Amino acid sequence: MRAPTLTEGLALAALGVLLLLPLGVGAYPVRLATVIFMWAALAGAWNLLAGYAGSVDLGPVVHYGVGGFATAALMLKAGLPFVVSAVLAGVVAMAIAYAVGTPTLRLRGAYFAIGTLALAESAKQLALAWDRLIPFPLTGGSAGVSLPLASGYVLFYYVMLVLMTGVTTAALWLQRSKFGYGLRAVGENDRLAEASGVNIHRLRRRLYVGSAFVIAVTGGTAGYWLSYINAMESFSAAVTFQMVVMTLLGGLGTPFGPVLGAAFLTLVSEYLGTRLVYYYLIVIGGIIVAISLFAPSGLSGLLQLGRRRRLEAMP
Amino acid sequence: MTLLEVRRVTKRFGSLVALNGVEFTLTEHEILGIIGPNGAGKSTLFNVIAGLDAPSAGDVVYCGRSISGLGPDAVCRLGIAKTFQIPQLFPRMTVAENVLVAALYGHGASLSDARRQAGEWLAFVGLRDKERAAAETLSVAERRRADLARVLATGAPLILLDENMAGLNQTEVEAAVALLHQVRERGRTLVVTEHIMRAILGLADRVVVLNYGEKIAEGPPADVMRDATVVKAYLGEAHG
Repeated sequence: MRAPTLTEGLALAALGVLLLLPLGVGAYPVRLATVIFMWAALAGAWNLLAGYAGSVDLGPVVHYGVGGFATAALMLKAGLPFVVSAVLAGVVAMAIAYAVGTPTLRLRGAYFAIGTLALAESAKQLALAWDRLIPFPLTGGSAGVSLPLASGYVLFYYVMLVLMTGVTTAALWLQRSKFGYGLRAVGENDRLAEASGVNIHRLRRRLYVGSAFVIAVTGGTAGYWLSYINAMESFSAAVTFQMVVMTLLGGLGTPFGPVLGAAFLTLVSEYLGTRLVYYYLIVIGGIIVAISLFAPSGLSGLLQLGRRRRLEAMP
Repeated sequence: MTLLEVRRVTKRFGSLVALNGVEFTLTEHEILGIIGPNGAGKSTLFNVIAGLDAPSAGDVVYCGRSISGLGPDAVCRLGIAKTFQIPQLFPRMTVAENVLVAALYGHGASLSDARRQAGEWLAFVGLRDKERAAAETLSVAERRRADLARVLATGAPLILLDENMAGLNQTEVEAAVALLHQVRERGRTLVVTEHIMRAILGLADRVVVLNYGEKIAEGPPADVMRDATVVKAYLGEAHG
């Protein structure tokens, strides 16, 4: 075993504080933290594929939507408890991801991005039309589905914390594992990786299926938390783009980038949203442009740069 | 023992016939040179053997097993690894990690074994001092050596070198030839395409000459160089 790095040590300490947070503060900070964890888990799952394997997926919202509706169906129709339903929904999403990923992951570069974007839009249309087409109603059409009311908010805090921690741990593991080296090779030069013995399709698909599980469980948890889902929002491209923007802001291909990006964007939106009710989106747009221009490798790149400067300044 | 058999391989790209019924066999521990003018089909032949292109007709048999139609990753794991004419790298990974990937996936080494092997092959090609450098910082000559370390690390018994000495100066060519003799001493079999005749003469046991996708001569390098058809293919009618 190697000793943890400074960043990993700080992250572990932060995790300790977060585990105890709901005991010490009121409902609002806990809810806000839950939102951050949720986006960190989603963005983190997207980052695994885009940041490590170089596959820019513009349809991860498919898994989010599938997770939401599968969790709702399992709770409402099968009467299963929430955690069991969410995990099973994750398994359903994995099966769909396997079937869908087998052909789409063979597309290279921009074609994969376009293919997955089209896939997400078709999934949305299918979800909207489902109850009219299939004699087994699931989605409630455009009216959506109401889930059972949950008691309290602390459960969601911990589920989202587990999801975020799981994704971040996976990213850390990828940096030093055989699977991770293979993925990075695929991301940097897929033809050379293939010529070196890497089965690039199988590696990509394994990661795609794994990230589908996380996204689907997060989607199921979000649905139960809000107690209402509908196809337009659960399959909305806005969810995808938020995952992308948060990852790029935080730092693509870095383990903690998505966490930083999710925290930053959620907190800034929350702060500005209450002060500049009508203009805050314009300001946020400006901030995103500024970060992309002046720190193209994201916030984690900015932090690292600061550390390097300090090290160089030392005698 | 026969390691590789290329059986009447034809490769068409639309109406262009890049390879036309090419056949030869390769014995274990041999160094075979493939020569021919530009566009003769050398790289296409390599791509067909390495699984990057499927043959339009004919068959490639490795260790008694047909491998045509397999993907490049499967061919590599079976035991044939190829360098690229334009040396390829994983640019943002370190030089050691570049070789590590080949050891991990080429013959399924564990992480600790692969790390050790990567270090050994980098020392073998003389790049040990660069192992922590980002691969994109290497010079052309260093990239060629890193690419060689990568194919060696896959553990493949059969190595295809596609103009691995192009762009090297005289001293570098001599060093590369000496290095490839050592590769053979380590039990590998080599197929080499090269424009530099001097390198082929000092290296290959036997050469196959391609012209317009067809095999026009085969034999020991010194004999083939005197062959009238070969001279004509290279220099044109008036000299022949």
